[in-house]
Amino acid sequence: MRLRALTPWLWLAPALLVLVPFFALPLGLLLRNSLGRDEPSGGVEPVFTLENYGSVLTDPFYATVFLNTAGMAAGVGLAALVVGFPYAYAVVRCSARWRGVLLWAVYTPLLVSVIVRVLGWIAITADGGLINAALLATGLSSRPLRILYEVEGMGVGMLHRYLPLMVLPLVNALQRVPWDLLRASSSLGAGPGEGILRIILPLSLPGAVIGFQLVFASVLSDYVLPTLMGTTRFRMLAPALYDEAVTNLATATAAAMAVCALLLVVLMLGLGNLAVRRLAPWARTL
Amino acid sequence: MRSAWLLGAFVALVLLFLLGPLLIAIAVAFSSGERIGFPPPGLSLRWFADALGNEQFRDAAARSLWVALAATVISVVAGTGAAVALTQGQGRFAGRAWVQAFIMLPLAIPGIVLGLALLPTAIMLGLRPGFWATVLGHAVVGIPYSAYLVLAAFAQYDPALDRASASLGVGPWRSFLRVTLPLIRPGIVSAAICTFLLSFDNVALSLFLSRGDTLPLRLMQHIQFTATPAVAAASVMLVLLSLGAMLMLGRVLRGRGTIRIAG
Repeated sequence: MRLRALTPWLWLAPALLVLVPFFALPLGLLLRNSLGRDEPSGGVEPVFTLENYGSVLTDPFYATVFLNTAGMAAGVGLAALVVGFPYAYAVVRCSARWRGVLLWAVYTPLLVSVIVRVLGWIAITADGGLINAALLATGLSSRPLRILYEVEGMGVGMLHRYLPLMVLPLVNALQRVPWDLLRASSSLGAGPGEGILRIILPLSLPGAVIGFQLVFASVLSDYVLPTLMGTTRFRMLAPALYDEAVTNLATATAAAMAVCALLLVVLMLGLGNLAVRRLAPWARTL
Repeated sequence: MRSAWLLGAFVALVLLFLLGPLLIAIAVAFSSGERIGFPPPGLSLRWFADALGNEQFRDAAARSLWVALAATVISVVAGTGAAVALTQGQGRFAGRAWVQAFIMLPLAIPGIVLGLALLPTAIMLGLRPGFWATVLGHAVVGIPYSAYLVLAAFAQYDPALDRASASLGVGPWRSFLRVTLPLIRPGIVSAAICTFLLSFDNVALSLFLSRGDTLPLRLMQHIQFTATPAVAAASVMLVLLSLGAMLMLGRVLRGRGTIRIAG
C-alpha cells in the first residue's frame, strides 16, 4: 500500500530532478538577487533593499526600455489581430482543400528557424534589398530608403515572426462559432457587416485574447529581431537584459529588470483573462 | 460577393507576407554576390561551398545537434514519466494539481528571463556555461512541452486496458511496455520532434548558458559582423532539416499507435 502511494513520485522523479534545481531554484535566486546590491565584480552583496527596483522603475534609461518594449509588444499584438482575424476567418470559412493550404502557410514559418526569416527580411529591406531596388528602378526615390535597422523594419519582422501565434488561437475560437447564428441574424434583418460585428467578433474574443497574450509575451522576450533588425536608438528589453547581466555584470539590476518583465507578463495575462471572464464567461483562458 | 473577393485578395496578400521572406531567403543562398540583397546579381553555388567549408558553422552545427539530442532524450523521458504519473493508476495523489501546474509553469516564463535566472544558478551549482548547462536549460522548456504532448495522447487512452491486462495476469511493468507505451507512442514521437526543433533553434537560453557556440548564435554573429550569403546557404540546409522533421511528424501523426499482440 505504501509502495503504491510512492509510484507516482517515482514516475515524476526525472522531471522534478531537472525542474527543481534548474527552474524553481533559478526563479528563487532571481528574486533574491533582485533585492541585493551589485558588486563591481559581478557578485551580489546579500542585503535586502528595494533600490534596484527604484532605479529600474524611475531611471529614464530603464523606463524607456520598458516603455519601448511594452509599446512594441502591444503594437505587434494589435497588428497581428487586425491581419490575423480576416485570415483566420478565411481559414474557417473556405473549402477543406484551401484550409489545408492556409494552415500550412501558418505552420511552416513557425517551424523554420528564425534566422531564415530574418535573412529574408534583411534581403527585402536592406539598402541593396528588394524594396529599394524597386524604388530606385522605378525612379520613385533617388537614394535607398532606410528601413532595416529602424523601428518599423523590426516591427514588420516581429509581425511576421509572431502572426501564427495569433492566427492559430483565432482559428480555434472561430471553429466553435455556430455559423447558423449568422443566418438567423440575417433572417432577422441584420446586414452581413452587423452579423460579423455583433456575433462573430464577440464569440471569437477568447481566441483573440489568447493570441494577443502569446504575441505580447513573445515580443517582450525576443532577442534575435532587436539585435539583427533593430536599432540601439530604440532599446528593447531582451538585449538590454543581456547587456546588463553579461556586459555590465550588474546581476542584481538585471534580476530586478527581469522580475519587472515577469510582472508585466503576469499583469497582461491577468487583464486578458479578466476581460474574457467579463465579456465571454463561457470560455477557457490561458 | 464583393466582400468574398476582398477577403480573397487580403488572404493572398497575407500568404505573400508569410511565405515571401522564406522564398527570398532561399534565393539569397544561390546569389553570386558578396552581400545579402535582392535581386541577386547572378546565380551560383559558391556560398554553399563556403558554408560547408566554414569550420565555425560545422562545429556549431555539430554542437547544436548534440545539445538538441541530449535535451530531447532528457525531456522526453522526464516528460513521459510526468504524464504517466499525472494520469495513470492512482492518478490523483495528494498535490497532483500543484505538481502539474509546476511542471507546466516554465512555458509561462519568458525565455530571456529564464536564461538570465539560470546563469547564476548554474554557476552556483558548479556548472559553467557550456554543453551541460545548455542541455539542462533546454530541458527545462522541453519537459513541459513533452509532458503536454504525451498527456494529450493519454486523453484518448482507455484505462480499462490496464485493468484488462492486469486481469490477464500481466505485471504492471510489462503491461506498461506492451500496452501503454505503444498506444502513447505518437505523443512521445511528436514530443521528441518538437523538443528537438525547439532546442535546435533556441537563442534565449543558449545566449546565457552556452559559450556562444550553438548554431543559431553563430549564424547571428555572422549576420551581425560578416553578413555574406553563406549564412543563407547554411539556413537553406537548416530549412531542409526542418522540412524533413515536419514530414516525419506528419507520418507519425497519421499512423495510429497499435498494440502488437503476438510475439
